[in-house]
Amino acid sequence: MPYLSEIQHRRVIEPSGNEVGKLADVAVVPQGQFPAAQWAILATPNGEKVVRWADLAQEIGHFRLRARLESTPDAHLPPEALRLARDLLDKQIVDTHGAKVVRVNDLQLAEHEGQLRLVGADVGLRGLLRRVGAETMAERVAGLAGRRLPRGIIPWHLVERLETTGAPVRLTVPHGKLALLHPADIADIVEEMTADERVAVFQQLDLETAAETMAEVEPEMQAAIVSDLPEERAADILEEMDPDEAADLLQDLPEERREELVELMEKEEAQDVEELLTFPEDSAGGIMTSDFVALPGGLSAAQAIDELRTRKPDPELTYYLYVIDGEGKLEGVLSLRDLVVAAPETKVIEIMDPHVLKVDAETPKEEVAALIAKYDLLALPVVSARGKLMGTVTIDDVVELMLPRGWKKRSLRSIAR
Amino acid sequence: MIRTASAVRRRARVRRATILAFLAVMGPGIITGFAGNDAGGVTTYTAVGAHYGYALLWLLLLSTAGLVVIQEMCARMGAVTGKGLSDLIRERFGVRWTIVAMVALLVANGSNVVAEFAGVAASLELLGVQRIVSVPAAAIAIWVLVVFFSYRVVERALFVLLLAFVAYPASAFIVRPDWDAVLRGLAVPELSPGQAALIAALALVGTTITPYMQFYIQASIVDKGIDRELYRFARIDVYLGALLTGLNGFFIVVVAGAVLFPAHVLVNSAADAAQALGPLAGDQAKLLFGVGLFGASLLAATIMPLSTSYAICEAFGWESGISKDFREAPVFMGLFTLLLVLGAIVVLSPSVPLIPLILVSQNVNGLLLPIVLVFILRLAGDRGLMGDQANGRVSQIVGIGTAVMASALSIGLVAVTVLGL
Repeated sequence: MPYLSEIQHRRVIEPSGNEVGKLADVAVVPQGQFPAAQWAILATPNGEKVVRWADLAQEIGHFRLRARLESTPDAHLPPEALRLARDLLDKQIVDTHGAKVVRVNDLQLAEHEGQLRLVGADVGLRGLLRRVGAETMAERVAGLAGRRLPRGIIPWHLVERLETTGAPVRLTVPHGKLALLHPADIADIVEEMTADERVAVFQQLDLETAAETMAEVEPEMQAAIVSDLPEERAADILEEMDPDEAADLLQDLPEERREELVELMEKEEAQDVEELLTFPEDSAGGIMTSDFVALPGGLSAAQAIDELRTRKPDPELTYYLYVIDGEGKLEGVLSLRDLVVAAPETKVIEIMDPHVLKVDAETPKEEVAALIAKYDLLALPVVSARGKLMGTVTIDDVVELMLPRGWKKRSLRSIAR
Repeated sequence: MIRTASAVRRRARVRRATILAFLAVMGPGIITGFAGNDAGGVTTYTAVGAHYGYALLWLLLLSTAGLVVIQEMCARMGAVTGKGLSDLIRERFGVRWTIVAMVALLVANGSNVVAEFAGVAASLELLGVQRIVSVPAAAIAIWVLVVFFSYRVVERALFVLLLAFVAYPASAFIVRPDWDAVLRGLAVPELSPGQAALIAALALVGTTITPYMQFYIQASIVDKGIDRELYRFARIDVYLGALLTGLNGFFIVVVAGAVLFPAHVLVNSAADAAQALGPLAGDQAKLLFGVGLFGASLLAATIMPLSTSYAICEAFGWESGISKDFREAPVFMGLFTLLLVLGAIVVLSPSVPLIPLILVSQNVNGLLLPIVLVFILRLAGDRGLMGDQANGRVSQIVGIGTAVMASALSIGLVAVTVLGL
């Protein structure tokens, strides 16, 4: 299987054997699994000339034009065409399988049904060595040590292009493949991108994925992305996020921008978020979410289950069900299991455990984490001074505080920030 | 239409928030300016002042002008492209040239790491600690702090120690230098053709415009997410940072020129260099100089291996990041560790004189500077890459002038050394 670096710069001759130039580049239209080579760009003494790939025949050590250069028609590259050497070689791409950003050292091509196709990106050491003409030598050296050089080829259909050529950002491939990844993986990839690319990704992901991805991005970068997105889109993403995460993000923005965005959000979500914003960032109130399941004590078990059926709460909110009185005061807690195994007509107030471990909004978040860890809880309710249930801190809000230091640290390009 | 409306709104916002925005993006330039003020810088400026008085100030002035223009170029490239310098070199020039650039950077920065460890050793020897203790301890401390804790904690702590260098501008007024002579030194270019003078001159250029600063400033701009719009504010910070480097050098040369030069002190040790602060601090001069040099050396010894590893891994697409282990990011962690170990080992051999070692390392920087500059000038002048933000004629000419100046000194030094003149 040939590599681009092996055929690039090969001599191109006319049928008579007369050399007319060198092969400068190969162009494809990036569609389908393995795009076919459709054009050849020749470097001739009179500048570049684009011809159809079919007008060339590959022979050993060189390419032969099927007709004389003057009688070979000029071809035109459509705007969506990709020049392999100019647009892909040495550029960064996303390996959607390994979910990371890598650099293209070489491109693997393969003859398939009479057509040369782009089948893979070489991102390994071999590709680098091949580019400097040292692959064979390195292979021999490795052979002496009884080892083989590892191959680092990503099949083309698992590759997502990142490159945005030209001044205005133009992402040639829709981010279909990216959207299939887990949001945490997308976030890792997004962190490696340039600002323009990031904004483009957040414009193109569907709202739910965009919101989940945003929640996974480093806090400092979140603020930068939200500042660069159009207001409407940013507000939509914030609405879709969990209120506590949205509040954390908004907290990092300049006040003016924050107010603008909250104004653009739906009333209900905006209210939740604004409430959360009044608490200090590192207190229980600052990290809690105002979403929770609260049931009036008078409800029967059957009614409570019906209620859950209609409300369809997020999975992390069903760890514990809270019981409140008419003024919203926290009276007790019960689990989904308690509810399901109880006789249908039993009142929830009879099933619940009235001894609830709770904290007030000013409790430092480290203390909250310590309580959750000590009592093996999945969530902890937060109450106001008068005992009113205001929100809950779930284990995923504090899991970072429980991890050893440095666990969540991400790669930085430089250490100055 | 929507786009236009939001663009207008955004512009209005920028105007209102001008001062706030400036404060928010302020940092990378000034931090780089401070970081340039390392063991190599302090030692070179002191030696230049002590041995040649004010005679080489003109060269410092030219270097600072070059530094201001070149740092601005790199910051602008970062803002326009959103990419680091080694990223751009790889994408524009391919594998072979990238190897050339990265080898140059590795050698230059490697010699800087040696200089920083020499600085650690020299400063602690002033305070009575043997280098066989101080150097391994510093290397291990840096490795552990960076890998297991946060680099940022170290950065803040060490910046405080750097304040000791405020002693130089203060001294410059206490020692009452002959300001007419200082002005003459700034305005009249003169350079004796001997080997020693060329070494001093090239070290002066190499320590003022260290190749690593260009990679560092561009990466910082990219990391901070500064785009074209914010760059208007960042530019001021970049200018200030570069000027700070030059100004700092100026005061050290002036103080050394006023105190050490007339006394014919040859700077062969940190104790000699510390004498420059004698008029200000009296008996405490050694302590003051030692603390400042220690902070500067340790800070740079932390930054240098890290930013080198980042730049090289970025160019070749290798996994990088402190949070990864040797299996996930073998090259990154390997390079970072290797630079620390090698830097420490070179300094540990007891026969190596520390101050000359530092001067030689800055010469290596000066020798390699033209290579890095050629890449920068080609990239920053490229309209295809930079659009209307490409280098104007003035930037390009100053950049080329700086490269020519460094090359001329390098060639001169090599010629004099080889021919034994």
